[in-house]
Amino acid sequence: MRIVLRLIVALILTLPSVALSAEKGLTVKGVRYFSYAAFTRIVFEIESAAPYVLTRTADNRGLLLSSYDGPFSLKGQLPVIRDGVVGGMEAREEAGRTFVVIHLDTAAGEVKDFVLRGPDRIVLDITRGAAPAAQIAQAVDKPKVVMLDAGHGGRDTGVVTAQGQEKSIALELAQAIRKRLQKDQRLKVVLTREKDQALSLDERAAAANAAGASIFVSIHTGPGANGRVYIQDPDEDLGNRPQQTASRDFLGFEAGSEQQEMLWGRQQAAHAKESGALGRKLARELDGKANAEPAQAPLAGLKAVDSAAVMIEISAGADRAKTADAVAKGIEQYAGEN
Amino acid sequence: MQERIDRRMGGGRLLLGVIIVVLLAAAGAGGYVWWRMNAASGPSPSQMQAAPSPVVPRLDEPLTLTFYFSSNGMLEAGSLAVKRQPDAEMQAREALVAALGDPRTLQAGVFTQVRFREFFLDPSSGTAYVDLSPLQQGGVKAAASEELLALYALVDTLMQNFEEIKQVRFLIEGREAQTLAGHIDLLRKFTKRMDLVRQ
Repeated sequence: MRIVLRLIVALILTLPSVALSAEKGLTVKGVRYFSYAAFTRIVFEIESAAPYVLTRTADNRGLLLSSYDGPFSLKGQLPVIRDGVVGGMEAREEAGRTFVVIHLDTAAGEVKDFVLRGPDRIVLDITRGAAPAAQIAQAVDKPKVVMLDAGHGGRDTGVVTAQGQEKSIALELAQAIRKRLQKDQRLKVVLTREKDQALSLDERAAAANAAGASIFVSIHTGPGANGRVYIQDPDEDLGNRPQQTASRDFLGFEAGSEQQEMLWGRQQAAHAKESGALGRKLARELDGKANAEPAQAPLAGLKAVDSAAVMIEISAGADRAKTADAVAKGIEQYAGEN
Repeated sequence: MQERIDRRMGGGRLLLGVIIVVLLAAAGAGGYVWWRMNAASGPSPSQMQAAPSPVVPRLDEPLTLTFYFSSNGMLEAGSLAVKRQPDAEMQAREALVAALGDPRTLQAGVFTQVRFREFFLDPSSGTAYVDLSPLQQGGVKAAASEELLALYALVDTLMQNFEEIKQVRFLIEGREAQTLAGHIDLLRKFTKRMDLVRQ
């Protein structure tokens, strides 16, 4: 009897808020995403908790998110996601209904959705499925993936010198390096951007990780006559962070699980040795000195890259053909030894 | 009977004399040791005349600090006179403002594109927070090497002069930011790097 009474009281308390939410529909204030090694998390920041519908598309290659009842409105832009798990997102309107389509990519696996409160969020976790495992199994036969990252892009011009904008010089260099490396059958070269396009540092790292890159070279330009090669400076904080404890607020992948432990931005720490070896090869080729060493710096663009990774800063006025030769040679030497 | 009394009195005088002699000898020896000790540790009379009066820093006297600035691909050390402040946080803020306005700092280019916003020191953790604000809407345009040296110039200046500062964190417009000019990770703490300073 007490339980029935409690249920009735709970219903009376809950119904008005549900009804109000249903009338208001679902308003998404913003969308964020995080590409982890084991899963991709998409967070829809909503104005207030309201019923929603998440279904799969007919071909099973997409997810549809919409309001359960009432209008669905999307404020702001959807992020560009291409991490192998998610192939993109778009807002669509059909038959008077608005919804968000999440295109699943080849590596997409299981999908979990849940709501977090204060601030209210709808969270989708999409596991990285069987594709990477298959890639690992075939790794022996497959060429090594080299990800060349032309720095900056879009509105972010980088440094502007008499030689031009950094974003253009970096792209030109990346294309020239690819041309030289394409002759090597052991390597498959991919660029983070093929045109003048804005990409966040996380998107670049996510693209490299999703492509299964073994080598990541971020290309930038700078002052001075000589090129510089940087590798990630180890972050002391990473080793001292307390272990996360289970939270009752977290309904997706369990806190403290392997997925949660693999925090975004910690990936590069596991590749310090490989990055040092790659940096050494490139520094020696660019500098022309047998004892040249890469410098360490806390680089935002490398910390989430899950492979050997370096940032090179080429003199804006340097001979680009010679520079491209030197970088290609350094990459080939590293690939041959590792 | 009379004779016996006289002998007793003569023995007492002898004992008194011995005591006086011993006391005089002890006082003399003590005085000598005291004089030697003072002569060994204290200044000589001529030194005493030449010794300056104790230096008490006055608040209106400038404080000279070591500061670092970017020059030809490395950091260089220089000296900077700043107004004396009553506590470490205010002194560090004063040093930061002076360093950011110094012509040697402004040569690097990065600091012509940012404005100093605020400085805080959390004494419990020794964390200094440097809050900067880009002057242009498009953000700061600088190469990775320039950005690296600009940030470490401030970190080294703060940490070299203020032992209360154990680490430095950067904020942009009062908030945590990924980078200042697109390269260096501002989400981590910074500690001084003297390997970037030209020897």
